[in-house]
Amino acid sequence: MNKEVDLKGKKVKLSQHVKIGQKNKMNQTYTDVSDMFAAKGAPSFLTGSEVIRDAVKVAGVDISVAYPITPQSEAAALIGELYAEGYLLDYFRGESEFAVMGQCAGAAFGGARVFTTTAGPGTLRAMENFPMWAGSRLPIQVVVTCRGINSPLSIQPDTLEMAYLLETGMLVWHAETAQDLYDFILAGFMVSEQPDVHLPLANCCDGFFVTHTKDTVNKAPEDLCLPPYDPYKSPVPCMDMECPPVRMMRDPFVMKSNYISYSTHASWQQEVKAAVERSRKHTIAILGGLIETENVDREILIVSSGTAVSQGREAIRLLEAEGIKVGLVKIKTIRPFPYQEILEATANAKHIFVPEFNMAGWMAREIKALIPNNERVYAGPHVAGGMTMPSEVIAEEIKKHIGA
Amino acid sequence: MSQYKVQPGPEAFLSPSAASMGIVLPDPGEAHIEGTIVPEEEAFEEAARKFLAAKVPTIFPGPLVLWHWNENAAKQATAIRKLANAIPARLIPMADYRPKYPKIDPEVEINPNHPNLTIWHNKIDVCIFVGVHCHQANLALKIIRGGTNCYTMAMCAQAGHEDACLSFRDASVEKIERLTAAVLKLKSEGVESQAEEFTQIKLNRQGRIA
Amino acid sequence: MSKDKIKICEDLADIMPPEYQDLVEDATYGDQDRGWKDVGSSKELIEQHSLCAGCPESIAFRYVLASLPAPEDTVFVGSTGCTSLVFPHVAVQNIHSLFGNQNAIASGLHRALKVRFPDKVKDVVVLAGDGATVDIGLDMTLQSWFRQEKFTTICFDNELYANTGGQESGLMQKGFVSKMAPVGKLFDKVRLAEIARESGCHYVACLTVSKPNRVEKALKNAILVAREFGPTFIQLYTPCILEIGKQSMEGLDEMKDAESIGGRFVYKEYATDDVKKFLKEKDEEAKARKKEKKSAKA
Repeated sequence: MNKEVDLKGKKVKLSQHVKIGQKNKMNQTYTDVSDMFAAKGAPSFLTGSEVIRDAVKVAGVDISVAYPITPQSEAAALIGELYAEGYLLDYFRGESEFAVMGQCAGAAFGGARVFTTTAGPGTLRAMENFPMWAGSRLPIQVVVTCRGINSPLSIQPDTLEMAYLLETGMLVWHAETAQDLYDFILAGFMVSEQPDVHLPLANCCDGFFVTHTKDTVNKAPEDLCLPPYDPYKSPVPCMDMECPPVRMMRDPFVMKSNYISYSTHASWQQEVKAAVERSRKHTIAILGGLIETENVDREILIVSSGTAVSQGREAIRLLEAEGIKVGLVKIKTIRPFPYQEILEATANAKHIFVPEFNMAGWMAREIKALIPNNERVYAGPHVAGGMTMPSEVIAEEIKKHIGA
Repeated sequence: MSQYKVQPGPEAFLSPSAASMGIVLPDPGEAHIEGTIVPEEEAFEEAARKFLAAKVPTIFPGPLVLWHWNENAAKQATAIRKLANAIPARLIPMADYRPKYPKIDPEVEINPNHPNLTIWHNKIDVCIFVGVHCHQANLALKIIRGGTNCYTMAMCAQAGHEDACLSFRDASVEKIERLTAAVLKLKSEGVESQAEEFTQIKLNRQGRIA
Repeated sequence: MSKDKIKICEDLADIMPPEYQDLVEDATYGDQDRGWKDVGSSKELIEQHSLCAGCPESIAFRYVLASLPAPEDTVFVGSTGCTSLVFPHVAVQNIHSLFGNQNAIASGLHRALKVRFPDKVKDVVVLAGDGATVDIGLDMTLQSWFRQEKFTTICFDNELYANTGGQESGLMQKGFVSKMAPVGKLFDKVRLAEIARESGCHYVACLTVSKPNRVEKALKNAILVAREFGPTFIQLYTPCILEIGKQSMEGLDEMKDAESIGGRFVYKEYATDDVKKFLKEKDEEAKARKKEKKSAKA
């Protein structure tokens, strides 16, 4: 980076919205997201689905489209209740995830703030839409409650679907806890709607482990609300026939058979990737960083994302009791991938363990592709199909590998 | 800190986006010159110098300032015309974004999908984009850097453009006027425009009238 | 957008190429009585196209664009195919996203415009080919009708996949030999107009584009009804002369044959009784406006 991101200056960038301080029709005051986080009250004890509802309630969402698939159905239905209470301007059930993501795209093309949820096979059925969303610069937020995708059918937690999201051009974040999910939903809108970013966000969490268990969460007061989306700051024209140019196709084909068309298309893809890069600055300002670290000066590290991090943290406690010291890197944003942060955090590590809730080990691959001397990376342990990952299993695997 | 510098090309068969090379956009009150963050004031003077030193300085107004969709657009158009007169610079519009190749008349218009054609045809060595949607501006800036030796600038109404060699952010009528003032100040200090003689193109519904 | 927002800033007007100056000076934005007769006498909203010479789809496109009651407040949704090669050149904002999801896009778009502009009429019009409407997109086409989404769906029916080189489609007639139907299509042309009626469309018309006044009337009816009642559907026969082995000048004859007695495209129109009554009122209003205009001229 040519410039260190100044955390102290973050309010300047985020508080420029003209409507800050005004009230919406639900009598909520438009508030800077950092101020909302600062105003969080006493902890509540909620399921992840309820947390999604409560985040959406203060996120100023205009339109949400729902479709049932476990384990996101409850959250999608609870958002419907918010609509009935008047918090959203429109809400309906689509006919399939492919259609739902199209309906979300239509609403976003028309200048609305759009939120939806999906999971597992739904993510894959919707998949054709995701690179389209990114290429069309639509800042839609989808919460992905990860579950199994392969036959035989399983509704249980499995993060394999995230591997498919990595090269869609979307921002991909991974929440570890219900608190993360709450914070990521609010921060997510503010980051993905920045004019220089303006990309869709897949806010992923591990199904059931996060959605269906109860956890303590600190929430912003419900009389506050994120400032509304301004479609006229979009990097591409909003399709409402209220802004120029009127002769505008979103998005015109560049597929004539010549170098000019090819290079335009390639440059378009580069611009989407560039926008992913630009999100770093805003994400760091709101979330305080793309990763969180604990004791990364240690020789053994656990590096992962999602609930694998929670289990890793427990494993570290177990190992600590046996005198084995292990550090931790929690990755919050998978896209953009925190290259610099991970390089620095793993600089001194001799053993890097990457526990994952999928059989592909995509996170380990990402890390191996990034760091020098990648034989340091141990891909595992892996579980899938709904299996839990006992912290003892992680601890045992670490001990076995290092010969302790 | 990135070592990459956003400089005029021709850079590569497919030049990288500056963001992917680690260039970060300026914060409010700042601008960037070749990827280095500077106080805005410094960038006004540098932009004015670049314009006056150019043989074919050119302003590319985009749809947001060409079309009278609100009063602010009209005021910006007025400010842009004054800037063009002050330098003096050619005005070549980007009226919309539909791909026009091969039908484009590169002498009188520019298109984000193949902006290099307009740069090459008119031998433009310094240009500024103003009133172009950010996505299309980035496409154009990167393609120009890839294939031409033109020094690109952006007067961006949002967060700025790392793909330009020099970029302002939060553009407004006032900022366009400040750029004009910077040009006039340099001129009053004796810096002369190196622009080749030209007549501003004038068009009506029948075609060129000047 | 009101017509007076579609103008060029005065200080930069003289650098704008003629096509834009024409658009501002001479296009028929803001005139609800615009129609096919403006083609050739005013600036068309379609600047150019890359369709084949003599393609009936190109003339269909021109009639449709000339007949929109409020192009200044209309947004089109298209799909992949020959139509999407024309849309970049159309002076009405429009969306292409994926192949077949046009009615899903339109559902979200119409709802967004409705909540963002509650006091304005914003027309959303889907214009897609038969492959997009009936085959890959049928689910979303029908579901938008079931949900009573208030927009118009137009299907340019050329009875095959033209842009990919002439493959069998659901709207192809039985027995026709084409790519992917090497021994001839084995099942009947899908009865889309009837399906539309049964699926909740309040106004349905099926016709060729041989008679521009009919196209204009059907389009205006469909859009006016969609504003007030719910989904409407128009199926237009736009034969792909290239893929059915016709010459450039034979498109019109092909359409005339298809709409003659016993043909696949004999004019048909369905409307509920309420809609019929509504359209009669609208007709009378239009006639009154015409009369007023005439007397003002005299």
